[in-house]
Amino acid sequence: MARNQYNTLQMSNEARLPLPHPDGPLAGYRVLDFADEKGQLCARVLGELGADVIKVEPRGGHPTRENGPFFRDELGPLTSLYWWAMNAGKRSITCELRLEQGRELVRKLVAASDIVIETCEPGTARDFGLDYETLREANPGIIVVSITPFGQTGPYAKLKATDIVASAMGGHMHLNGDDENGPVRTTVPQAYAQANFHGATGAMIALYARGVNNGMGQHVDVSMQEAMANAMDHAQQTWDIRHKNSRGPGIYRERAGERISRYLYEAADGWITTLANGGISGPRGNGIIDWLEQHGAARDLAHDNWRLKLTTLEPLTPEEQAYVEETLELFCRQHPKDWLVAEAQARGGGWAPVYSPREIVEAEQLKARDYWVSVHHEDLGESFIYPGAPFKLSRTPWKQRGRAPHVGEHTTEVFDELLGMGEAEVKRLRTRMVI
Amino acid sequence: MTALKKPFEGMRVADFSWVGVGPTVAKYLADHGAEVIRIESNTYPEALRRVGPFPNDTPGVDNSGYYANFNSSKYGVSINLKHPEGTSLARELVSHCDVVTESYTPGTMARFGISYEELSEGRDDLVMISMPLYGQTGPWAEYAGFGHILQAASGYNHLTGWPDGPPIGTGVAYTDFLVPHIATIALVAGLDYRRRTGKGQYIDFSQYEAAVHGLGTAILEWTANGREMMRMGNRDPEAAPHGCYQCKDGRWIAIACFTEDEWTRLKAALGRPDWCDLERMRRKWQRLNEQKEIDRHLSNWTWEMTRKPEDPEEAEIEGVEGVRIRKYASHELMQYLQSYGVPAGVVQTAEDMHNDPQMKHRGHYWKLEHPTMGLRTYDGPSFRLSATPAELTKAAPLLGEDNERVFKEILGMSDERFVELLADGAFE
Repeated sequence: MARNQYNTLQMSNEARLPLPHPDGPLAGYRVLDFADEKGQLCARVLGELGADVIKVEPRGGHPTRENGPFFRDELGPLTSLYWWAMNAGKRSITCELRLEQGRELVRKLVAASDIVIETCEPGTARDFGLDYETLREANPGIIVVSITPFGQTGPYAKLKATDIVASAMGGHMHLNGDDENGPVRTTVPQAYAQANFHGATGAMIALYARGVNNGMGQHVDVSMQEAMANAMDHAQQTWDIRHKNSRGPGIYRERAGERISRYLYEAADGWITTLANGGISGPRGNGIIDWLEQHGAARDLAHDNWRLKLTTLEPLTPEEQAYVEETLELFCRQHPKDWLVAEAQARGGGWAPVYSPREIVEAEQLKARDYWVSVHHEDLGESFIYPGAPFKLSRTPWKQRGRAPHVGEHTTEVFDELLGMGEAEVKRLRTRMVI
Repeated sequence: MTALKKPFEGMRVADFSWVGVGPTVAKYLADHGAEVIRIESNTYPEALRRVGPFPNDTPGVDNSGYYANFNSSKYGVSINLKHPEGTSLARELVSHCDVVTESYTPGTMARFGISYEELSEGRDDLVMISMPLYGQTGPWAEYAGFGHILQAASGYNHLTGWPDGPPIGTGVAYTDFLVPHIATIALVAGLDYRRRTGKGQYIDFSQYEAAVHGLGTAILEWTANGREMMRMGNRDPEAAPHGCYQCKDGRWIAIACFTEDEWTRLKAALGRPDWCDLERMRRKWQRLNEQKEIDRHLSNWTWEMTRKPEDPEEAEIEGVEGVRIRKYASHELMQYLQSYGVPAGVVQTAEDMHNDPQMKHRGHYWKLEHPTMGLRTYDGPSFRLSATPAELTKAAPLLGEDNERVFKEILGMSDERFVELLADGAFE
């Protein structure tokens, strides 16, 4: 496996987790994370910008610790890759929200925090003491981010939705797929991913608003359905303006509800994607046609009348369009994808390879930018490669802050540090099964 | 009590970005109170202004619905950066701004003399974000492309489609709708730091590097387990059933059961047919192996339970033994399943979205009057801030619409100078 070559960031076994990040732009802020799949990544991103993120779990651990896949396929408290990916760099405490004493502790923590992220079904947050009204009483400056399938109120607020249901109801899924098999979902959950990043966007805007409004907090009500609706590209305007419903075009592209050209081609060793007939259609078309000609693959396109037609973007008949696509198809099949992309890009063509996770980890571009980080799991005695900085801020950098926490790993530390509880008090709460 | 300030009230943004990602980031600032000025050129109009949908199918730089949606609440000026005065006009404009956003191929801003170093000369507080596809450095830095093909390089094609079919990817420029949020998070974090310390900075944002963070567990599956995740149609490794099933009205309905409880509820909704009580359907790990059969039964069921919209009389038909059987429209079938507590939802079209009662309740779509396009629908954000909500204050700007106001009022340009530059083509 290619893993070891990235182990540049060796950390000592005694490193205190999460790793400190005083240089982050959000250093000094504190986030309480009560979320499930809809909000854990949201909290992680804020942590990597410097915030102190505390994951609050029930005593037996959050149910998402049982989400697969698992390291070496072994189910266990330390092995959920889902948990690793979404909760890296946080602290973890346990607290039973079903007990009044637990809810009281939360109110005290909220008084010492800036942002709360919760994903309770609308109307049920009150049962856990996580509704905005209750939390605002504890801290008028608190920003409460609620991420739910359809938002807090409205006719669908109580409907149940997982990733695929929100993708469907958000209108995005109808744009994916093809005529034969119908709509398709992206296998890695995108409604969840979007909801998390939208939630963090809302949280940041509310945080900024607090700064200019004398410390006033507010409630950020995020809808997964709307987050997916924002990913409908221009299908919404196409309906508004042309009264046409766009739908999954398979290997083709649609523009304003009309199928324009094929964008996916098979290479000798995989697949590539292109824009504008591989660049053949457009002002730089001659460069691409010359390239095909060098390899004896331009067919009739090398003729002057074809060149003129293509470079001036004269509309093509369906037969002509099919001929161009067939020419590209025959050419691509003969060559490896990385070669095709590099050569086409050298001629100004917008081409990109279809990469699998392994190929992404091995991608030259990401290596050249020193993207990957190695995260040490001292509990397993191994280090693993995680995605690195999603943005490079020159003054206040992003930082990966170590592995995800074990259940309640920081309970004593957090209650002592934030609420000044001595060991005896923590022990008392433990025996009463509050924490 | 004094009136609340909008989050970015009083902040001015020079938006040099184009197409999807950059304009969406600046739109978040504009819709939340910033004065965002888009800097464009008539000589080289931004690509999206040339792409439809156009009202009456009439192409025109001021007629693109695609462009309009990403540029609500913004002002528009035009500067020809190749004109001898272009660079100094742009620099002067930025000197009146707090933030610069751009998404050109690396090196473009420097070629016009408006790199971060040049723009931040003599000031410490400028925040600038560059958002090209692949970042400022590296062998692919100058590669051309848009979100349609970045989704391929960043894994979304590989992970979207049917397991025995090509990696079709999403039907949209997918990363254009994922990474702007990640960029906005970084930018506003930088702005909040500036608010507290007075210090600006430069953000090198690579759409590619951000997009990889949307891949869930796919990267760790490879780096920790040495296994490559593969597209699996509408299935999920942890749920059964999990898929889309067709209804008689042509729509599809998504149904997902992750927990045993959800499965029990689905069985009740189905009326407990014999097949779902078979021993091999008892536990989720068993059902995961029986998905073909489950999908066949569910497809039959959704088909049989639904009716075409033109057959309202089919809504209730006489059953074999005189029992009345109800036939549903797809949205009714969703409500029926939901009434049993089963996660289910219709795969909605753009038309459905415009009529969706929840989207209406939330006020997601805004209607804004545009001088040439008329009353058009714009997307608002997916979140509601209770105290300082987004407000889409105006439709997208015409190309160069605000030249006179911006150059005269903000830059303090004299009438004579403005006319002189205009005649000389500096605003082309």
